[in-house]
Amino acid sequence: MADPILNKLKHHWNVSNRREFFTQAGSGLAGIALAAMMAEDGYAAGVDPLAPKKPHVTPRAKNVIWCFMEGGPSQVDLFDPKPLLDKLALQPVPPSFHPETLLTAQGAKPSDGLFPARRPFKQYGQSGLWVSDWLPHIAQHVDDIAVIRSCQSDAVNHVGGVCQMNTGSILAGRPSLGAWLTYGLGSAQRNLPTFVVMQDDKEILGAVQNYGSGFLPATYQGTLFRQGDTPILNLKPPAGTTDEQQRSKIELLQKLNELYGRDKLDDTELDARTRSYELAYQMQSSAPEAVDLSKESEATKKLYGMDERETAVYGANCLMARRLVERGVRFVEVYSGSGSGWDAHQDVNNNHTKWCKASDKPVAGLLADLKARGMLENTLVVWGGEFGRTPFAQISAGQTPEKYGRDHNPWGFTMWMAGGGVKGGQTIGTTDEIGLRAVEEPHHVWDIHASILYLLGLDHLKTTYMHNGRAERPTVTGGNLIQKLWA
Amino acid sequence: MRHVTRHVMAALVGLALTAGIVYTAETDAFTPAQRSFWAFQAVKKSPVPAVKNQQWVKTAIDSFVLAKLEEAGLQPNPPADRLTLLRRATIDMTGLPPTQEEIQQFLSDKSPNAWEKVVDRLLASPAYGERWARHWLDVARYADSNGFKADETRPNIWRYRDYVIDAFNTDKPYDRFIKEQIAGDELYPGDPDALVAMGFNRHWIDETNAAALFTRRQETLDDMTTATGEAFLGLTFGCARCHNHKFDPILQKDYYRLQAFFANTSFGDGPLPLKDPAQRKKYDGQKAVWEEKTKDIRTEMNKILEPLRAAKLESGAHTFEEEVKTAISMDPAKRDPFQAMMYHTAEPRVTFDEEPDARTLRGLKGDNGKRYAELKKQLAEFDSLRPAKLPEGQFMIDIGPNAPATHVLRGGNFDMKGDEVQPGFLSILDPTDAKVTALPNSTGRRSALAAWLTDPKNPLVARVMVNRIWHYNFGKGIVATPGDFGRMGSRPTHPELLDYLSANFVESGWSIKKLQRQILLSNTYQQSADLQPKAAEEDPDNKLLSHWPRRRLEAEAVRDSMLFTSGLLNTKMGGPGVFPPVPAGTISDLSATAAAGGWKSEKDPAQNNRRSVYIFVRRNLRYPMLQEFDSANTFESCDFRKNTVTPSQSLDLLNNDLILQWAQSLAGRVLNDSGLTPDAQIDRAFKLTYGRAPSAEEQKIAADFLARQIPIMTQRLAADAKAKPPMPTNMPAGMDPARAAALVDLSQMLLDSNEFLYIN
Repeated sequence: MADPILNKLKHHWNVSNRREFFTQAGSGLAGIALAAMMAEDGYAAGVDPLAPKKPHVTPRAKNVIWCFMEGGPSQVDLFDPKPLLDKLALQPVPPSFHPETLLTAQGAKPSDGLFPARRPFKQYGQSGLWVSDWLPHIAQHVDDIAVIRSCQSDAVNHVGGVCQMNTGSILAGRPSLGAWLTYGLGSAQRNLPTFVVMQDDKEILGAVQNYGSGFLPATYQGTLFRQGDTPILNLKPPAGTTDEQQRSKIELLQKLNELYGRDKLDDTELDARTRSYELAYQMQSSAPEAVDLSKESEATKKLYGMDERETAVYGANCLMARRLVERGVRFVEVYSGSGSGWDAHQDVNNNHTKWCKASDKPVAGLLADLKARGMLENTLVVWGGEFGRTPFAQISAGQTPEKYGRDHNPWGFTMWMAGGGVKGGQTIGTTDEIGLRAVEEPHHVWDIHASILYLLGLDHLKTTYMHNGRAERPTVTGGNLIQKLWA
Repeated sequence: MRHVTRHVMAALVGLALTAGIVYTAETDAFTPAQRSFWAFQAVKKSPVPAVKNQQWVKTAIDSFVLAKLEEAGLQPNPPADRLTLLRRATIDMTGLPPTQEEIQQFLSDKSPNAWEKVVDRLLASPAYGERWARHWLDVARYADSNGFKADETRPNIWRYRDYVIDAFNTDKPYDRFIKEQIAGDELYPGDPDALVAMGFNRHWIDETNAAALFTRRQETLDDMTTATGEAFLGLTFGCARCHNHKFDPILQKDYYRLQAFFANTSFGDGPLPLKDPAQRKKYDGQKAVWEEKTKDIRTEMNKILEPLRAAKLESGAHTFEEEVKTAISMDPAKRDPFQAMMYHTAEPRVTFDEEPDARTLRGLKGDNGKRYAELKKQLAEFDSLRPAKLPEGQFMIDIGPNAPATHVLRGGNFDMKGDEVQPGFLSILDPTDAKVTALPNSTGRRSALAAWLTDPKNPLVARVMVNRIWHYNFGKGIVATPGDFGRMGSRPTHPELLDYLSANFVESGWSIKKLQRQILLSNTYQQSADLQPKAAEEDPDNKLLSHWPRRRLEAEAVRDSMLFTSGLLNTKMGGPGVFPPVPAGTISDLSATAAAGGWKSEKDPAQNNRRSVYIFVRRNLRYPMLQEFDSANTFESCDFRKNTVTPSQSLDLLNNDLILQWAQSLAGRVLNDSGLTPDAQIDRAFKLTYGRAPSAEEQKIAADFLARQIPIMTQRLAADAKAKPPMPTNMPAGMDPARAAALVDLSQMLLDSNEFLYIN
């Protein structure tokens, strides 16, 4: 007789027999639900959705810290100098750049005129990479940084853009990259979430859809950390609760749930809920310790800019990111300008002055600190927003040029990576002469994702999950490796 | 939750390539496949199918479901036991568990119509409206604040929430419900309820301080178009904002044809007419007297304010586009409809009310200020003559009879105007322009839209609503994507059943309660949740409904059921949103929310225990406990909720002070009901939470647990004040304190357990 449970699960798991299922179940939530059955079958050990899994290729990195500049930093003002903008300042985008095909989010018109970089550029380091003086601290690390100047996204607007940069799709509902990574690799620790998100200002546009698990089991979704000593809401047990008391309560709950679930073994969700109490319990002690910066030296705090008002918030988040990675958290996303801070439709000068200041020293501090601790080689640091900004101005009525802004630019923008096996001191790809479109080696978001997965040891084509009859993968329908990153 | 962004082209192209779908470019021609697509065919009431196991059939629903099961060689499950059934239906209908008395009554009622009596009782309960209104509020993207960075409070929008609750409780016919929400102002003038219903399209997210007024206006129109298309028609209209829909026969032109119905609408926030004409007359009379007696004073006050008004006009206008500035400064009589719309939109920023706020008045200097204060005092002497203020509402209305032109916008961009369009419907159903008759103060356009939506021949509207009702009853619709009846959505699992119910729905006078009743009385609904091996194998997703689909309580039902079981639920209905406590750390990380008024705390603690539907919905700060359990995103129509399992939910259940307080109250209930015998206490605790006595095994587990906790509690009781354990509320005399404290823990864990959190 066919195995009913297996058949129910077959819909989600591409397996042909029960044994194979159990092997695969080690990577999924369904596994826990079957713990009891497996014990009967002699498979007692090792059923854990977060059990470390064998990578497909030799990993170069173990962890990722993604410094997400939300709202869209301007590539032509930061990493991609375009002298032509100065020559053609405030002149319409020349026809050779096909401005007629552009559709801007807030209606900035290419005919309103090209807008030169707001800050002078200089070359830095051995490699001589160009960085504007808006980011003087990051500039000191260019020899560890690979700048990708030819990134592309499908999104014109933020909600779709942030969503695609996180999930590969501009429509909500797919698993985030962090979820795929934890699904594919498991986790080296059980005391903290495997995927943590931190914001410095408002709620990330689209909120949970950007760190959700989509159709992957919920266990892989990201956890939003809040500021302060209680990074997770309700982390602290009610005052006076003893550890023994709390353990005993959870034990009771598990027994009650076990009785309830005894005749409902097919329902994996019930057991997942029971199990989530274990993780919750462990988090109670591990999470406050992980975010407790009091043990960090003053020098370290200073390195991250925590001693200055403007950089204190993002600096603390970056330092926390390091501590989390140190404790085995696989994927940390640290938002700068969460809630679209970098969205400089008006007065790019003022906007970028603020957000560059808030993030430059913290990011540089993170790179320096990781390097000093020997962690940079295992930790991939990614920098970038959901898209870049137009090289032409966005003008509101009555504005003088110093107040001009820039609209969204998904057609060619800059991201960079450092550490985690990335070859620093190089630029990859180019945009056209005005920094509008990627021309050489264009790299879609999917390429970025595929390459990050690869650096962590996963082949994006093999990282699949059966959903609605399709073996879904992180890169949807695309993804080419950016070989230059590590070659 | 499915999310429709406005710029879907690229992803859809990607999907299209994947799926091998070929679509035509900008063209008005529909493919034969589109023309024959199921959702656009007329509702066809099929005969009830014949089945072998006629015994099992209680309502026509069962015949349709059983026919498919038999075809697949599957058997439906036997009915669930009576307790399970009662708990299931009570939570489904009211969002609360049954009381002990209700359980006893049903278990002991041997009459053949015992179940029918239960169903009718539940449908008549006021809690029914509170539960089902929440479902519609998801669809309507209801919120009490504007969204965006400032996220200001919408002080009177809660009347819309109360209107929806009342509509479900009074079983307002769905066609009337639609008419009131789309064109209540035009169709039922003078009816305050119909005006409040117009709040449906007042839920747009709004950046009130945006400089770009054209864009802000267009975003508002896009919100209304998308929400209307999704809520009533179950179509992803938003996809056609920038181009013809890539999969469904929704032309870009159709998007703007639908938008044109709303072309002259804007916020119409203000006083609501009194329902009773006699009262209204009395009010008008009183007001006239007061106005006459105070005329001179008010005239002088206004004169003093004139320079302030001029200053406000100038300072308010300067951020806007030139065209808007022109619209603001020009002679009102000469404004064209678009200029009138721009002025109306800008008005709150360039004018102030007759009675300005203190901040504005600070602009009055010297003698002017003194004189104004004197006049104000004089005016106050007439307060006894002044009629009481009318209740105020927030709603959307037309600002006049002539609408600005609506154009197809290339790429959805306001600046890229294409052809002008007139109000019209889906071209595939009706390519002609809508027939519109203008009214003296309104375009009459939305009346035409309401008529089309409620035309019994409309193939979508009844199906979409019937499917939503089914979805909330079974956790999954007959069409699994309630907000997308298009090609990328799911196909109906039981198309004939959907049509049968839809036709019945219209024939019954669009009665939602009759439909509910039909569902609840069916054997399909009453099945047990057990999974049969054969069904697991052949129908793993339970598309054929061989068993009841077990599911977790929704966010609101989790909170409300806990409050109810603890004896704390405040059943007061209606009124402005309430602000129950939030966990420490919730506010500090949302600076913008603090600026908008943040999260005030209630003066009356009983307000903290109101039903969740009354919790203030701040867009930038969803109530954490509800958000944790997957409450709706308020930024767009939410057609179904996600169901997640997270450690943060567990932390909430374990550590949230509120849940602990509820457990204290529950333990107090247990002790006061059951006396001092330990066994009786355990028995009572189980009955209050699960509605049943514990099994011998459970009794032992609970007793062992109490035995383990008692020494811990003894220690805590002996320690300093800070470590004292929380005690049961209203603890009876003679109770051992350590044991009582341990009962709080037991109560909490019963509330947190799966049997409490799931509907079986």
